[in-house]
Order: sequence, then C-alpha cells, then structure tokens
Amino acid sequence: MKILACLDGTNAEAMGHAARMFAGAQPLTIGLLTVMDVGPRKAIDRTRERFWRPPMHRQPVIQEMLAAEKEACQDILKAGLERLPEAESLLRQGYPELELVNAAADWKADVILICPRAEYGAPPSLGPHSVGHVARFVLDHAPCPVMLVRPPAGELFPIKG
Amino acid sequence: MFLFFPLSELWRTLLTSTIGLLTLVGIMVRPFRWNESQIAMGGAAVLLLLGLIRPGDAALTLARDWNTFLFFLGMMALSALAETAGLFDWLAVQAARLAGASAARLFLNVFILGTLITMIFSNDATALILTPIVYVLVTKLRLPVLPYLFACTFIADTASFLLPISNPINIIVMSRFPLPLPTFLRLLLLPCLVVIAINLAVFYLLYRKQLKGSFNINHMPTLSQAVKHGPYFRYALGVLALVAPSYVLASAFQFPLSMVAVAGAALLLAGGLGWKRTTLLETCKGVSWSIFGFIAGMFVVVRAVEDTGLTVKLGNLLLHLSGGTSFGAVLAGTLGSALGTNLINNVPMAVVMNSALGSVQHATPAIRNGFVAATMFGCDLGPNLTTVGSLATILWLLILRQRKLEVSGLDYFKVGVIVTPLMLLAGACTIWLCL
Repeated sequence: MKILACLDGTNAEAMGHAARMFAGAQPLTIGLLTVMDVGPRKAIDRTRERFWRPPMHRQPVIQEMLAAEKEACQDILKAGLERLPEAESLLRQGYPELELVNAAADWKADVILICPRAEYGAPPSLGPHSVGHVARFVLDHAPCPVMLVRPPAGELFPIKG
Repeated sequence: MFLFFPLSELWRTLLTSTIGLLTLVGIMVRPFRWNESQIAMGGAAVLLLLGLIRPGDAALTLARDWNTFLFFLGMMALSALAETAGLFDWLAVQAARLAGASAARLFLNVFILGTLITMIFSNDATALILTPIVYVLVTKLRLPVLPYLFACTFIADTASFLLPISNPINIIVMSRFPLPLPTFLRLLLLPCLVVIAINLAVFYLLYRKQLKGSFNINHMPTLSQAVKHGPYFRYALGVLALVAPSYVLASAFQFPLSMVAVAGAALLLAGGLGWKRTTLLETCKGVSWSIFGFIAGMFVVVRAVEDTGLTVKLGNLLLHLSGGTSFGAVLAGTLGSALGTNLINNVPMAVVMNSALGSVQHATPAIRNGFVAATMFGCDLGPNLTTVGSLATILWLLILRQRKLEVSGLDYFKVGVIVTPLMLLAGACTIWLCL
C-alpha cells in the first residue's frame, strides 16, 4: 500500500499519527510530499507587470527567494522524517493543489493524507469554511481515496442543531 | 498626412477618437503580447503620421510635462540605489526584531514599514522592492507568506496619497492642477489614514488564523547580513535623511519634485560608484525605461483626443453625474478613476482624467478640488481591486475556474474585491468631509 502524506509545515505530527494507522498494511510505502508554492512568486510577477517591470527571474533577489523556499521545504520534510523515518520524501514545485493530485497520480498513491488547512496556532474549527482551497481541490480531484486528517476537536461537540 | 489634405472636422474627430480608443483597448488586452509602451507609442506615431496632431503640439505636450518624466527617473533610480545600499533589507530585519517573535506584530510592522517607504520613495519601491524582501524574510521565519505579501502590495497603493511624492500619479495630476501642500494634506492626509486603518483592520480579520502564531527568532537574518557595505549604507541613510525633508519643503514651495528625486539619486549614485557598490549600467537596469515611452505615447494620444473636444465631453459628463455638488464630484471622480484604472492601468487613466477635468476648471473651488483629490485617490487606490494583475489576468483566472480547474489566483483576487470597495467608499466620504 502506498500512502502519500501531504506536509504543509504545521502538520508533521498529525501526519505521523495518521500514517501509523496504516501500519498493518504490508507492504507499506509512505511518501512525504511538500510543494514549493509558485503562487506568491507569480503574484509578485503580476505586480511587477503593473509597474512595467520584467519578471522576477531576471532579478538577483529571485535566487534569495528560491533559496529561502528550498530551505523551508527541506525543514518541513525533515520534521516529517523525524516522525516517519522510513518514509521517502518528495519535493515538487508549482501550485500546491495541482502538484498534490498530480504527484499522487505519478507516484501511484493508494491513499492521500491531507489536513484541512495549515494551522498556525489558531484553535481547530469545524464547519463549511474549515477546509482550505488546497484540501478542497484535492478532495475534488484526487485519483485515489483521500483521508482528511482533522485536528482533535472533541471540545466542539455536541454540535447543536 | 491629413494636414495636407482637406478633411472635415467630423472625420478628423472620428479618426482621432478611433485611434485613441484602439490605443486604450490595445493597452487593456495587449494583442500579440505587445507591451503597453509599444501600443501607446504606436498610437501616437499613427496620429502623427496621419497629421491628426501637429508634431509641434506633440513636442510641446511632452516638454510641458518634463517634471513628470524626470520624477519617474529620479524615483526609480533612488529606490534602486537605496536597495543596493541594503536599506530595505535592514528595515525589514528591524521590523522583525521589533515584532518580538509575534507573527501579528510583524504583520503590523510590515504595514508601518510599507507606509513609510511608500511615503518617501513612492508606491513603486514598496510594491517592487520591499515585497520580495519581506517574502524572503517570512519564508525564513517559517510564517505563512500570503498575508505579508498582500500587506506589501496593498499598502503600496493604500499609502499612496500621504504626500505628493508617494505616487507618480499625484505628480501627473498636480502638473495640471497644482495644489499647495497644505491643501493637499487637508484633502488627502486624513482619507489616507482612514483607508490605511481599514486596510489593516480588514486584513487582520481575514488573516487572523494565520497570524496567531509566533516565529523562531533564531531563523531571523542578522543586521550585518542585511547591510553588505557599512560606509555606503550609512552614506545612503544620510542622503535619504536629506531627501525626505527636501521633498516636503519642495512640495510646500511648489518647487519641482523631480529635481529633489534626481539630485538624491545622483548623490546615491556618486557614493555607490565611489565605494564600487554599483555601476552606471547596474543603476540603469533598475529603471523601467519602457515607462517613458508609455507615458510619452499616452500624453500625445490624449492631447490629440483632447483637441477633438471629446475629453471635455467626458469632463462635462462627470460634472453632470456629480449633480453640481461637492459630494457628487468626489464620488464621480473616485468611482470613474478607480474603475478606469482597473481597465487601462492607472497612468493612462490619470492622463485621461487630467484632460477631462479641464472642463471643471470653472466650477466652484469645492467641486474642482473634490474632482482633483478624487482623481488622485481613485487612480492611486483603484489598482488594489485587481492588485495581482490586469483585467486580462482576472478574466483568464475566471475562465480557468469555469473549466473546473481551480487555481489559487482567484483567491488572490478575492482579497482586493473585499477590501477595496470599502476603502474607496470610506476614503471618498472622508475627502468630502475634508473639502
């Protein structure tokens, strides 16, 4: 069984727990995937276009931006590997939502593990807006079953009608 | 050509307005990936070749706006040289140090930093230079990038009317409708502070979940990493400490602001060359030369259209829409400029509005000032509506979504749609109250 765990920089522990639920499956291959998001760089390029400037790739600062992104991604994968040392790490570049489903197809994943959205210290939330656009896209377009790994939110229950 | 052949006034008007319209549409859709500069200069060249504007008139129009051209040159060179000195990197690191490891406080500091840079260097420096620096900083600090990225790109436009030099659009408008500094500040300072507060509050609300956390100060770059050459950095700080009050003094005495910008850039360049921190070629690369062709082309095209009386009609329409009240003037000026700026970019819109406002010269001072302030306000702030790109980009993103291929780009667009109308409305009301 091939499990693809999507890391967003805030969910290494949750992914570790979720992946271990499949420990009984043999043979088991776990892939840790993170994506270098090109969205912000493209947004900067579009702003540059508005100010009649050439795209970022001709600027020296792009090297610094790429180096910082790469370092951050390696840290994210490292944190994942600390929880799942047997896993293989995958790094892709592009729009996260597209790269996640394409990587799952390329890697022939049997299950995708994904969190609803990156959590930066805010308490967990439930409801229609609790799934971010990346996870929503993956749920809509995944080539295999998807397991949505929610943070524990027992204190929010019971939900009243 | 038609200067040498008899052509009725109607035909001249039809031809000129068709070429003017095609130029604006060309800028909007950019066929065959032509850039705006080629399209604007092409429109001007066709008008000149057909004799629909006299070469002497075109030359006079360009000569009259020398202050605008020089200001663009000085402003871009000044920002590029300050960047070379490491000023923006140093300021960004200081913003992070003062945040005390709090993501929310860093967000506030980025807003304040963007405001100060826009005020002194213009929106160009914040949008183009500060944004990638902040991007690298927050990536290193392992913070979510988007809130900070939007903070930079939005504040570049939101803080654009703190001072006349905060956006070149203000220089374009004030070249035709000069406002004494006290009047400028009376009309636009409070509205600017109001929209900055709205921008900050809405962004805090939108990104409250991403800004909850803290960052590890060990990931923060040191100040010495930001400053690559101490003596040039200190020299640059000294020059800028002179330039900032000089801008205010020049505005107060209606001295050409371009002279201050160019003199500041020349001093920074001299220091950069002396310490071998830059070369003339390197500095020239920091200047967007195509903008000069674009502005020159637009000035000529709009002048030709103005001669047909069409822009006066647009001005009369605005005056009619205002209902002859100062509130109507502010509202019509703001909405007209803001919508136009999202269709054809803010520079051509400012040039068109400048020409149209010729017909409000004889209105009451409150209506005239209302239109002038609203034009600067709408053209400065309007681009925030589609801040990530032109209308064409947004249409492309909408088409992708229709094809069920959802990409993050539209989420970028949503932010502008949420916050900009609110800021335009609140700012317009405040301008009216300040009239």
